[in-house]
This record gives sequence, C-alpha cells and structure tokens, in this order.
Amino acid sequence: MAEPILQVRNLVKRFGGVVAVNNISFEVREGEIMGLIGPNGAGKTTTFNCITGIYTPDEGRIYFMGEDITGLPPHKIALKGIARTWQKTRPFKKMTVLEAVAVGALLRTSNVDKAMRKAEEILKFIGFPEEKINALGKDITLMDHKMVDLARAIATEPKLLLLDEVAAGLRPHEMDRLADVLRKINSEKRITMIVVEHVMRFVMGLSERIVVMHEGQKIAEGRPEEIANNPKVIEAYLGTKPV
Amino acid sequence: MIEPIVVVSNIIDGLLMGLLYSLVALGLSLIFGLMDIINFAHGDFVMIGAYLAWILAMNFMVDPSVTALITVPLFFVIGLAVYKAVIEPILGAEPLIQIAVTVGLGFVLQNIALAIFHAEPRSYPAPALNFGINVGPITLTAAKLVAAAVSLASLLLIHYMLTRTKFGLAIRATSANRMVAPLMGINVGKVYAVVFGLGIALTALGAALYMSWGQVNPYLGASFSLLSWVIVAMGGLGGVVGVLASGLIVGVLEALGSTFITPSARMAVVYLAFFLLLWFRPRGLFARR
Amino acid sequence: MGLGTRRNLIVLAIIVAVLAIIPFALGFNQYYILLAATSLIFAVFVIAWNIIGGYAGQLDLAPMAYIGVGGIVTAELLKYYGITPWVGMFIGAGASMALAAAVGYPTFRFGIKEVWYALLTASLVVILNNITHLPQVLGSFDHYLPAKTGWYYLIFYRYQNIYYVILGLFVATVLINLLISNSKTGYYLRAIREDELAAEALGIDVRKYKLKALLTYAGILGFTGYLYIVLQGTYSYQTFNSPTSLSIAIMGIVGGLGSIAGAFTSAMFLKTVEEYLRGTIGATIPGLYLLIYGILLIIVGIFKPEGIAALFNWVKKKVGFENRGM
Repeated sequence: MAEPILQVRNLVKRFGGVVAVNNISFEVREGEIMGLIGPNGAGKTTTFNCITGIYTPDEGRIYFMGEDITGLPPHKIALKGIARTWQKTRPFKKMTVLEAVAVGALLRTSNVDKAMRKAEEILKFIGFPEEKINALGKDITLMDHKMVDLARAIATEPKLLLLDEVAAGLRPHEMDRLADVLRKINSEKRITMIVVEHVMRFVMGLSERIVVMHEGQKIAEGRPEEIANNPKVIEAYLGTKPV
Repeated sequence: MIEPIVVVSNIIDGLLMGLLYSLVALGLSLIFGLMDIINFAHGDFVMIGAYLAWILAMNFMVDPSVTALITVPLFFVIGLAVYKAVIEPILGAEPLIQIAVTVGLGFVLQNIALAIFHAEPRSYPAPALNFGINVGPITLTAAKLVAAAVSLASLLLIHYMLTRTKFGLAIRATSANRMVAPLMGINVGKVYAVVFGLGIALTALGAALYMSWGQVNPYLGASFSLLSWVIVAMGGLGGVVGVLASGLIVGVLEALGSTFITPSARMAVVYLAFFLLLWFRPRGLFARR
Repeated sequence: MGLGTRRNLIVLAIIVAVLAIIPFALGFNQYYILLAATSLIFAVFVIAWNIIGGYAGQLDLAPMAYIGVGGIVTAELLKYYGITPWVGMFIGAGASMALAAAVGYPTFRFGIKEVWYALLTASLVVILNNITHLPQVLGSFDHYLPAKTGWYYLIFYRYQNIYYVILGLFVATVLINLLISNSKTGYYLRAIREDELAAEALGIDVRKYKLKALLTYAGILGFTGYLYIVLQGTYSYQTFNSPTSLSIAIMGIVGGLGSIAGAFTSAMFLKTVEEYLRGTIGATIPGLYLLIYGILLIIVGIFKPEGIAALFNWVKKKVGFENRGM
C-alpha cells in the first residue's frame, strides 16, 4: 500500500457565520487518482483553496509528504509540489499559449529557453493542437483553455495535482479526451491527482477512490461502485438537485 | 503655543467642511458601488460646477449657493450625457483603462476651464453669507454653516431615497447583484445612467455651496477627487452613513494638519492617514466584487 | 535569450544612431536641443514606467515622486557637499529606491492594487509636495544648481553634452527593459498583470516580483532625476508635480502597455508636441497639450486599449515580421 502523499486532518473553514468546511479529514495515496464529489456548496472548492494556501484554515492541519503546510502562502505550496487548475479558467489572455505554459515551467528553472522547450514538450504530451501554441490566450476555445490550464499546472512539476471541475462545460467527446489525457499524466508523469467534479460519469470512470462531501462534511469514502450505491450519498444528491 | 480655542474652532470648521466633502464623495461612492466605475474626474465636476456657480452669481448678483437651483438640474443632464459618451463604453473594462479614460476626462475639463478662465483663482466678491456668527468665544462662518446644513439635509434625503423608495431598492438590488437585477424587472442601464447623473448633480450642489466663501481655479478638482476617494476608501461602500462618518474624519484631519503643521501641509496629513488606512485595514475590505 | 532577438538590437542601434545625429541635424540650435533632450528624458521615464505599469500592470502615478527625490538628493549633495553627480546620482537612485521600498513593501504586502494603488501613488506625490513645501525642508522658493559648468557638475553652457548623457541613459534603460522582458522576471510580471491569483498558484511570489519591478523603476527614475533638474534649471517643492506625474503614466498607456517601442514613440511624440505648443500658443491657451492628452486618453481607452503598440503590430504583420519581441 502506497504512503499518503497528502493528509488533511480535521480541517475547518468558516466565512462569517457559515461553516464551509466542517471538520473534514482524508488522505490521498501516492500515485492514485482520488475523486472529491458532492452537491453544490458542499465545500469542495473551499477545501482546495485551503490545501493550496489561498485560504488559511481556521482549524486543522494539512500535511504534504509528511510536512505541515498549513497556512503557507500559495506560491510556497506550489514550490513544494502542489499544482491546481481552476473551476473557472484563469487564462493569461495577452500571452501566447506557449508563454503561459512556460510561466509554469519557470518555477523549476530560470532559463527562459529551457522553460519554452519544456512548455512545448508538455503541450505536445497532452495533445494540444500544435498550430495553436502561438495563439494568444484571448483567441482560443474553452477546451483549449482547460488544456492550457492543465499544461501550465503540470509544467510546475507537481507531485500532486488538484483539478477543480475540469470537465465542466465540455462536450461528451471532449470529456473522454480529457479523461485519457489525465490518465496519461497520472501514469507516465507519476502525478497524484484529486479530481473535484460534478459530472458523475467523468469522475466515476477516472477515480480509483472517491470522497463524498456534503454541507462541509465527509459523508462517505470508497471505491466508485461502493459510492454509487451508498444510501447516504444518494440521499445527499437527491435531497438537493441531482446532477 | 496654539490656543485651545483656536484648535476647537478649527475642528468645528473641519467638521463643517467634512459634511461638504461627504456630499461630494457620496456621488462617487454610489457610482463606484453600483457600477464599479473608477471615476478619477469626479472632483473636476466640482470645479466646473464652481465656475458655473461663479458666472451665474456674477451675472445675477446673487449668492453662489442660490445658483444650485439651476446648476444641479443642469449637471444631472450633463451627467447623463457624460455617462452615455464616456462611461458606458468602459463599463466592465480593466481598472487601468477606466482610470486612464477618466483621468483623460479630468484633463479635458481642467484645461477647458484653464483656457476660458485662466489660472488665477476666482471668487464671488459680495457673498451674502460670508459673515461671522459668534457662538460663545468661537466664530463660525455663516456660509459654511449653511453649506454644512444643506449637505447634511441632502445626505439624509438620499439615505431616505436609498432605503425607502422603490428606486432606491432598485439601486441597492443592482449593486448587490447586477446579473439578477434584470430578472427582477430592473432596467440596469437606466439605473446606471440615473445614478451617474445624480452623482454629478451632487458635485454641482457641493460646488455652489462651496463658492459662497471659496475660490475656484482649474486645479480645484484634483484635491476634491483624491479626497472623495479617500472618503470612499474609509467608508467602504456601505452607504450614506459610512460616507458621512469618513467625510467628518477627513475634515477634522485636514483641520488638525492645518492647525498644528501649516495650512499647506493639511493634505499631507489626510493622505498619510489614507496610507495607514489602506495598509492596516484587512486585505479583503477593499476588494472589488 | 538575454536581450531577445537580434532584430531588437538592430532596431535599437538604428534608433540610437538617428538620435545621436539629432543635435547636428538641428544645427546645434540650443532651443531645439533642449527640446529634444526634454523629450528624450521623458522617453527614459516612460520606458522605466513600462516596467511597473506595462509589465507588472500596476498603475503607478508617482513617477515625479521618484524623479524628484533622486534629483533633489543628488542636487543637494552637489550644492552642500560638493559631491559630483556621478556619485550623487547613485545615491539619489538609492534614496528613490528606499522610498519605493518603504511605500511598496506594505502596499504589496496588504494586497493593495488597482484603483487603490493608483490613489496611493497619486497621493504620494502630493504628500512629498506638501512636506518639501515646509520651511524646514525646501520652503516656498526655487533652488538653483551651483553656477558652475563642466563634466564634474554635469552642467554645461550648451545642451548637447547633457543630451548625449541622456541618450546613454536611454540606451541603458531600453537594455534593462529588454533584459527584464526576456527573462524569468518579465514572464512572471506579465503573468501577475494577467491574473495575480493564477500566477501565485504557479509558484510566483507576487509581492516579491512586484517589489522588484517597483524598485527597478524607481531606481532608474531616481538616477535620472538630477538630469531632469539640470534641464529644468531649478528645483523646489513644485518638482513634485501631479500633472507631470500623471502625464508620464499617460504616455505609457497611450504607447501601449508592455511595449518599449510604443512607450518611446508616445513619449517622443507627445512631449515634443507638448513643448512645441507650450512654446507657441502656450501663452494664449496654456493647457492645450493637456487637453490633447485628455482627448487621446479617452480615445485610446475606449477604442484602442492596446495603444500605439497595436499600430506597430499591424505594420509588422503587413511587412511579415514576427509579432513578438520588442
């Protein structure tokens, strides 16, 4: 059994009177793809924001490769080896695709030429259309943005990649393509992943293990087929709006 | 040694000025809060309004404050026109572009004024209200008292309008969520235009009141712009009460700087306070939606 | 990559060659050379501003604060301690950088940006204006440089020498810009301009890089400040002049953010027009050039936010050059 690469222990995050994440704990094992699901407002993105240092948790600890990273600023966490993508893509509109990915690569090198070559390599690896690598961020499609977002994150050479609703807004055949790319990244680059997702089909097919959140708490954890038949999970989803 | 009575009288003077600043800043606060437009030319409308009040007062030989009856409605219309011509095209643009465009607008207004009136300060030579009223040992200028009273009344009126009327509700609903507002039957474009017009109309009122004792030169606007922004930063976008409180604080700070250092350093005191305010208020407080 | 494509350096060499013959072309007419030197020094200011405004995307409205502090420190060192500006300019640059650090560190630490950054920097100029106006500092009157000439003082009877000194600084400033633009720092600054949060999540220490950009910009301005005072002839609290400060940022925006060529063109063109108008109809319509700035800004902001740089890109595309680099 692989060691946990990430441990989240008793994490709590409040906004004013609202408890967005309420005492959640889970572990991510090295090399796996873990799904993190739950209805709208379950606290998934807040959990991500705590792990990546955008929010400072009110209580609880986060350990990455055995080291306490709770409360570190985002850029230090990125340096430790945690990268993320965004639910709503955050493109660098006035930079070319290649430059945007090179920005990610510059975390591990100061040589721009090297970063450019690595960016090219990564874009090729994830199958980004070659003719578009010199297009500006403002001129490409949503699917392209998702791919650039992903390439930018991989370019920082993370050990753990957090994907926030990466399939949202994509068409079914695009989702399939993306799932293949993610599997390839996971197996060939040896990058562990947490996938926050709304689209059930996508996450069920991709993850080996799933954690379910509801109203800030963990309500279930297990293999996809266990989760699909868990009455608590079904209730949580049916109790709100099923997706 | 500065006499305590001088300090007290200067602080009262500062409070009176603070009410006038609040009046001017309220328009800016409404505009920024509602449509996220960063207007750096706000104070320049005060300057244009002051010239207009001066011309009318000179022609009709009335106290400048009276000219508000004409300038306020006129500025409302001017505000609508400026909104259509300059503001509407930059709604939702990057902050930098908005600042650039409104700084440009300010330059245009300043230099039109400079071309017409030249740099020397203008003031109304025979103001009806520029006499002192003795309250115990303290002498207050009647014009400033009137200006402060009218400002306060206007602020309260707008507070009432925002909280109790249907149009006020539409403004607050649109401020809170401009995506949902149209679903509630609110014409967002119209609300924007009217609020911008209102904000500009308030600058005309402030300007007319100010000209009862003050002087205008083409650069008067710059200090009103910066002061208004300082007040908005201090008061947040929380509405009339926040603006009122911040305006009073700014007025008093200015008075203290003027009293204890020198009149020419009064702005430095206000802006230093502004630095500290920005630095030490929690990070998210000024975050724009 | 270093300084970028060879084409950039060739273009720079051609521009410098043209600038170098300007005094000859003007027949050493002192009035015109002063005009050219003034335009060129503003080109230096605007290209330096491009680092904080164009690359890092922070709307800094305080250039005159850094120019004034650096220039006045250098001038006072010369006047009261006889220290040559060759040394004093470094100390002036250091003073400006210290001011920038004192203002910038807490400002970036507390995440102040956009309108609040613009306001803060605009008020910095007013604060310095008011403080130096105090009788204990500079007081209300004009201060003159020592009535001496020569390379030791960097004050000359004729303006061509100072023109060439400024040209040297211009080259240095462009090279610094190119170095930044093509380095890790340049990529990071542009990423910060595009999206701070995304940049931070990619491991960029946003505060550190913003501060780096601010210090570089303030250092160049502080260094150049003395030459500005030499061209002006005097210094006083009015050196901290808000409209001039704004106009530098405006030239940067009109030129196109992040474009060295745009910054250069817009500064040379606008400043020359400004000085020309001031010299001709300035007495009758004193603020005409500022009126023109205002109209230009509104037009650029509404219709062409990419500024003059967009024009260059269009020309480059037409003649088939690659659309990157300078």
